[in-house]
Amino acid sequence: MSKILGIDLGTTNSAVAVIEAGEPKIIENKEGNRTTPSIVAISKSGDRLVGLLAKRQSVTNPKNTLFSIKRLIGRKFNDSEIKKDREWLPYELKESANGGVEIKMQDKFYRPEEVSAMILQKLKTDAGEKIGEAVNEVVITVPAYFDDAQRKATQAAGEIAGFKVRRILNEPTAAALAYGFNKKKDEQIVVYDFGGGTFDLSVLEVTADTIEVKAVGGDTHLGGDDFDQKIIKWIADEFKKQEGIDLSKDTLALQRLKEAAEKAKHELSTTNETELNLPFITSGDSGPKHLVMRFSRTQLEKLVGDMIDKSIAITKQVVVDSGFKLSDIDEIVLVGGQTRMPAIIEAVRKLFGKEPNRTINPDEVVAIGAAVQAGILQGEVKDILLLDVTPLNLGIETLGSVMTKIIEKNTTVPTAKSQVFSTAADSQTSVEIHVLQGEREMAQDNKTLARFILDGIPPSPRGLPQIEVTFDIDANGVLSVKAKDKATGKEQSVRIEASSSLSKEEIERMKKDAQLHADEDRQKRELVDLRNQADSIIYTSEKSLRDAGEKVDPAMKKDIEEKVEILKKTKDGQNGNEIKSALSNLSSSLQKIGEVLYKQASPEKPEDNNTSSENVKEAEFEEKKDDK
Amino acid sequence: MSDEEIKKEEEVGVLEKCEKEKKDYLDGWQRAKADFLNYKKDEGRRLEDMAKFVISGLIQDILPIMDSFDLALGHDLSKESERGVLLIRSQFEDVLKKRGLEQIKTESGDNFNPEVHESIGEVESEHTEGTVAEVVQKGYRFRERVIRPARVRLAKNKK
Repeated sequence: MSKILGIDLGTTNSAVAVIEAGEPKIIENKEGNRTTPSIVAISKSGDRLVGLLAKRQSVTNPKNTLFSIKRLIGRKFNDSEIKKDREWLPYELKESANGGVEIKMQDKFYRPEEVSAMILQKLKTDAGEKIGEAVNEVVITVPAYFDDAQRKATQAAGEIAGFKVRRILNEPTAAALAYGFNKKKDEQIVVYDFGGGTFDLSVLEVTADTIEVKAVGGDTHLGGDDFDQKIIKWIADEFKKQEGIDLSKDTLALQRLKEAAEKAKHELSTTNETELNLPFITSGDSGPKHLVMRFSRTQLEKLVGDMIDKSIAITKQVVVDSGFKLSDIDEIVLVGGQTRMPAIIEAVRKLFGKEPNRTINPDEVVAIGAAVQAGILQGEVKDILLLDVTPLNLGIETLGSVMTKIIEKNTTVPTAKSQVFSTAADSQTSVEIHVLQGEREMAQDNKTLARFILDGIPPSPRGLPQIEVTFDIDANGVLSVKAKDKATGKEQSVRIEASSSLSKEEIERMKKDAQLHADEDRQKRELVDLRNQADSIIYTSEKSLRDAGEKVDPAMKKDIEEKVEILKKTKDGQNGNEIKSALSNLSSSLQKIGEVLYKQASPEKPEDNNTSSENVKEAEFEEKKDDK
Repeated sequence: MSDEEIKKEEEVGVLEKCEKEKKDYLDGWQRAKADFLNYKKDEGRRLEDMAKFVISGLIQDILPIMDSFDLALGHDLSKESERGVLLIRSQFEDVLKKRGLEQIKTESGDNFNPEVHESIGEVESEHTEGTVAEVVQKGYRFRERVIRPARVRLAKNKK
């Protein structure tokens, strides 16, 4: 069966996705880009251009370059929106015979659906070439506020482009589908869509088998492009203050400013400050001028803060309109490139008191969701093939009561993983396997799934035995844990049926707990790791001194013994830095001893302890008090 | 129908259900295995693409530095300084060339072609209207693909 495309036909950019091997995937266009500008033009030489090529000639051909067609589609010429848009759109509009809108390009008038069809046509051709087969069916997304006429016109655009339009899908619904929220019965979802030119807010409700739009709102002239403009203006103003030169008249300088502003905006999503560096930006009376200034995240947030506040105010209002309270909202989905901005994420998080969903690329999430819908229509997403993931980390308790992860959360099951551990004390003959589930660093903060003991380990120095622990989860979520002593082949195992039977609430609570205690846990864990290091180095020191016997200079021996004592005293304290310095003091003294021993080395005195254990142990079991 | 016949019919039903399930599972398994094999095959290509993508991102970030050299050379420098800057620029360009960067050749009077040009304005010129009057920023190809079009001003007739 031929594939069905999912298309996000956007105001400024469009994207295409398809289901491949059961997973939605964005398809690149002919130019190798994952999004295509929603722009159509007829060039001065008479060629029809779509996408990036149309954009590249828009400056010198504004009257014949059509963009933002989505603002016109399905509307009446007398709509108040159209009246407003006519004031700033550079191309010519006229009223059609039936009261609709027609747009002039070169000498001909086109209906908006014909223009959108040209964009869809390009997407169709490029996708067909990329997939290797013609695609004739499509799911197209539209804003949730689109009325019947706008939906019909969008459908007509698809048909003109030669598609069979299988579904006109709401953009917020698509975003929710991309995250698989159609399976979350009786939940309320907010989709916060901050695009390049428009801001849309939707409240959705997932019922038995539909996703219903409860309320929509937004601002059709608020978007990331406004942010760029503010930044450009700020830089130009600063430069004028510094050098007295106005850059806004110089097209090349402005172009460079625009690129620098976009780059700075992107960088400030991950760093706190960036440098704008544009050498030779212009020339003054005294020669060339350079633009060098620092731009910080705080400055950016000051520049655009009012626009973010506006979007938050709209969000609050729309949630009220939907009849829900902010606390009723179960999930928030972020859509649109601008939502990468930390200040926006923070504002949304603060408003709802929840972490918004943003793991899927916000520029692509709507197209991805359209492809998911297409997949449902073509029957590719079959239930029996759906594989589960483990919701929480699974692991065992190791030395110092820490949890060592064996299978990390979000691993697709069925799966099996194993790791080799060793003993923590000399002549330790048994180990306890304490199977844990959870997100926290310390064993006692996680849920105990089982405990069992593997005994009969032949007495040997610590770190020498190799005990392989294997975790195996089958497709039904049944966890088997096996511990095997590699030397004797002796093994012990346990089957845990209930490993995945945690309720959703329980999983959420555990995840939240982990977030809440992340810092504190990390500190505890670091302390334990330091103590373990301390124990190990004390052991090595004492052993080395014993082994070396008379070969070591008494002064050196005393020095080490003292430092061991200091470390023994500090290691159980709470001050990590003290332990660290005691550790490094001892280890540098120990190196000196090593040098001395090496110099007088005889072949029957190999330093076997360190080398052999390094290969084996990733962690050590806690010593059992009752071992025999 | 006797009890035995009813029982037989039920058994046939169960068997049919099993057969169907068996088929579904085998289908799913085969499909998963095929997907996996294809994925493995594609992985090499994907890694290659990824490497290309990473380099092209880096080169895109570097292009403004090339521009700055061009801009510097457009200003009055002492003869030796100019030669020095020119040498640094060509040193720099050599490295990028070896990685697959290629300058798009554009001259005044060339026809405007949006596949390799981006117009940023118009200027009065001797050249035919609508053709390239001046190149204000060089364009580049990276491994056949245009990673940045040449920024040009188009000719318009003298009034």
